[in-house]
Amino acid sequence: MSASFALFGVLVAPVLQALFVLALQKPPGLRDVVHIGFALATAICAARLVGAAADGETVRIALAQPLPNVALAFVVEPLGALVAATIGGLGFLHAAHSAGVVRATQEKAPARLMAFMALASGATMAVAFSANLFTFFVAYQALTLCVFPLVAHRGDEEARRAGRTFLATLLTASMGLFLPAMIWTYAIAGALDFQPGGVLAGRVDALTANILLVLFVLGLAMAAMPPLHRWLPASSRAPDPALVTIQGVAILPAGGVGLIKIAAFVFGPALATARFAAYGLILLAGVGMCVAALIALSRQDVRERLAYSCIAQSLAVAVGALVALPMGLFAAALQIVAFACSAATLTMAVGTTGAITARRTVADYAGLGRVMPWTFAGFALASASMIGMPPFSGAWAKLWLITAAAGAGLVWAAALVGAAAVLTFAHLAPLAANTLAGKAPTDAFKRPDGASILLAAPVILSAAATLWLLVLADPLSSFLAPIWSDGQ
Amino acid sequence: MIGAYVELARAHAPLLMVSVAFGAAALAMLSPPRLSWFIACAGALVSAVFAFDLAWRLLAGGGAFAFLLEGVALETDGVSVFGAALVSLTGVLALLAAGAQLGDFERRTASVATALGLAVQTAWIGALAARDLIGVFVAAETAWLAAAALLALSAERGALNGALRMLSAGGVGAALFLVGAALIHRSAGTLDLPAIAEAHIEAADAAALGAGLIVLSLALKAGVAPLHDWLGAGFSRANGAAAMIVGAAAVVGALTVLVRVAAYFVQAPAIGEGVSIALAVLGGASVVIGSLQAVGATNVRRLAAYAGAAQAGGVLLCVALGSPAGVAAALVQLTALAATALALFGGAAAGGVRTLEGLDGLGRRAPLAGAAMMAGAISLMGAPLTLGFLGRWRLVEAGVGAGWWWAAGAVIFASLAGVFYGGRLIERLYFRRAGEIYLGGAGAWRFAAAPLLLAAIVMTALGVAPGLLLDAADAAAAQILGAAA
Repeated sequence: MSASFALFGVLVAPVLQALFVLALQKPPGLRDVVHIGFALATAICAARLVGAAADGETVRIALAQPLPNVALAFVVEPLGALVAATIGGLGFLHAAHSAGVVRATQEKAPARLMAFMALASGATMAVAFSANLFTFFVAYQALTLCVFPLVAHRGDEEARRAGRTFLATLLTASMGLFLPAMIWTYAIAGALDFQPGGVLAGRVDALTANILLVLFVLGLAMAAMPPLHRWLPASSRAPDPALVTIQGVAILPAGGVGLIKIAAFVFGPALATARFAAYGLILLAGVGMCVAALIALSRQDVRERLAYSCIAQSLAVAVGALVALPMGLFAAALQIVAFACSAATLTMAVGTTGAITARRTVADYAGLGRVMPWTFAGFALASASMIGMPPFSGAWAKLWLITAAAGAGLVWAAALVGAAAVLTFAHLAPLAANTLAGKAPTDAFKRPDGASILLAAPVILSAAATLWLLVLADPLSSFLAPIWSDGQ
Repeated sequence: MIGAYVELARAHAPLLMVSVAFGAAALAMLSPPRLSWFIACAGALVSAVFAFDLAWRLLAGGGAFAFLLEGVALETDGVSVFGAALVSLTGVLALLAAGAQLGDFERRTASVATALGLAVQTAWIGALAARDLIGVFVAAETAWLAAAALLALSAERGALNGALRMLSAGGVGAALFLVGAALIHRSAGTLDLPAIAEAHIEAADAAALGAGLIVLSLALKAGVAPLHDWLGAGFSRANGAAAMIVGAAAVVGALTVLVRVAAYFVQAPAIGEGVSIALAVLGGASVVIGSLQAVGATNVRRLAAYAGAAQAGGVLLCVALGSPAGVAAALVQLTALAATALALFGGAAAGGVRTLEGLDGLGRRAPLAGAAMMAGAISLMGAPLTLGFLGRWRLVEAGVGAGWWWAAGAVIFASLAGVFYGGRLIERLYFRRAGEIYLGGAGAWRFAAAPLLLAAIVMTALGVAPGLLLDAADAAAAQILGAAA
């Protein structure tokens, strides 16, 4: 399979997946096979692109020229390939898991749910491989519009309100902040291409750079930067498969990728020119991490607790991206991977639990690990990674993050990251421990046969993925080097 | 032999694209309803073929931009051929889609309504092809009266009130136009549009005032805020087909004529700056007022009309720049406005809905109409890969190039407001349960909604691959701004 074909495949396969799932709604078995099969094909294509990026292959496809001098184009580069491979792999597990959830919960419109999940996956891939700011903006908007039906899926007033909050926040931020920044960048540089070294490097004065950085970062509301984070808790009552998409495999990772692309490919060394705004945003993100982790501690609904926990994790990516050091960018990239694996595992575990036991609160989780050992083993592993406990992937990401912040002279930022990790420990560790150590409930299962393999296996496989950075940290450092090498 | 006739027809295309359609309108008025609809569609189609051929020869063909002078003082320029093609295409699609709603009119008035629908668009095409301001005035008033009559034919009494309000506003507009034309004639000694741009103007203030009055008159007819008082009353109670034809073809026609006339005015050294400022102020106000009113609208047609006013404001901002890039951007925005208006007014007509509540679940009840309206809503938001985005991007490009950063701010404001009212439309179309039964056309006539979907598809296709549109707009702008230079 050529790399060009793989790039095309990674973008088109999810769209075909959505179409086929909608067309082949019955029998459910065929629908699920198609859903999982296309997700696997997407993952394989994404894995192929990691090889292409490692070999330094130049792969680019331009679909259209919607604006003069600006193409709707996609390119393979290490950051995009790494994130796409992670999302692709998790997406495959998520597809299998969602097939199990919709069966267990007797979901009323499973095909629609699966179709928009697939479209969201495709849009996330498009975000990851976007070759310029315009393509990124298109993919970002497409992702927003694809996930909106997932948030509003239930169709009741609460879901509609959540959908409105989601759509209004993300679209308003992107139209009101990101788009002006994009236009301004075009006016300054005459181009919108992502390029190592930054398209703005050497072309922008300090005031403009500071304003642009604020517009770009706050415009990326998918990164959940305060005060534009409310869409995430608001959407925490979406169906469980949709939660995995929002928190684990699409929205938050896309926001993280956007932050890194802006820092590395739009600003590059010009980020140093925007030091004032960068430090302000790092402070905002750092404090936001701690506050979000504290709020998570107060939430008794597990989905809400995870939503706030995910905000804290997503903001860690912002801290890394804005530190303005290669080490920071590397830490941010690792954090996306680690966080995606952990968040996907936790949300899938919560989905499995909800589908099988209908339990949603922290108190109700006590002892469930004794009757659902695989699911809650995965839950515990992912919690440990989210907290930053070695040897799980989250530990390495946070270690690099703290090192990068300290290396940039931002000891206070490193301290905030460390404090957020402690607070994450406080809201996740007791929960995970209680599920395993508590007394097993006697009436745990809503369904007498417990969790099917489609519900349990993805959780434990996804949790196992949180270990892989243990051995891959050094190779990944070399692999990702091109994204900042020209900027040094 | 046939070839010679074809060449003769092509040589007289400006005259034929008007006279054939007016002839068809007269014939349609005397025919039974369904036959009249067929005749009107055929007449509009022939007119569109002439308009596109003319545009192709003058713009895309790359040949010399020869003036085609007719005995009735018709003269084409880049904007007029671009606009004629746009208005005629919009009119054809609106008339085709109106076929499913003919039953909404009383049987004895359906043929008249069809004929008036064709007359509205044809008269605006005539205004586009007119050489002088008197020709523009006569054609514009014809179009305006036909539009008011079309709305008045609707069954509800409220529609008659709307039509009366249109007539009142039109009377004021006509007076402004005539006073403006008189001032220009006195100052510049001519009413020929190309000549005004080159004329030695003795009393610049009087000429600028005259030009401003003409701009105001045409802006009123184009539904530019705050001169758009007639819009809500005219559309909210009218029949769906009438609202669609007036809201899409007539408004776009008026706005295109405004762009053409203003493009000549801004070239005149003595009055250009004043006209440019007036256009900018009016455009900015229309963007803000139209957007805010659309956010608060609870009637679908009012929402579409106010959103159109916001878009029209963007068009005026483009023309105010007075540069080829600005005029080209205005033409792109006009195309976006036409497609959006067709999708929204047409979708509402096909679905038989007036209020926002009526849209609930329309995406399932009437998939074609729902898809068209969704495409329109996304374009209103200014989402990338739509004509709405392309038009706004071109405005920002032209504005930033001229140092008009505030124009970019106005565009972003319009997009933000579009997120709210466009998002609200989409939510109701697809995320609410149906609250009303489907009132659209039955049987084979329901396929008359297909042109709306075609408009939506064109809107998407031109957003993704806009090369042809951009080239045509650039050529049209270069021609009209170069013609008088």
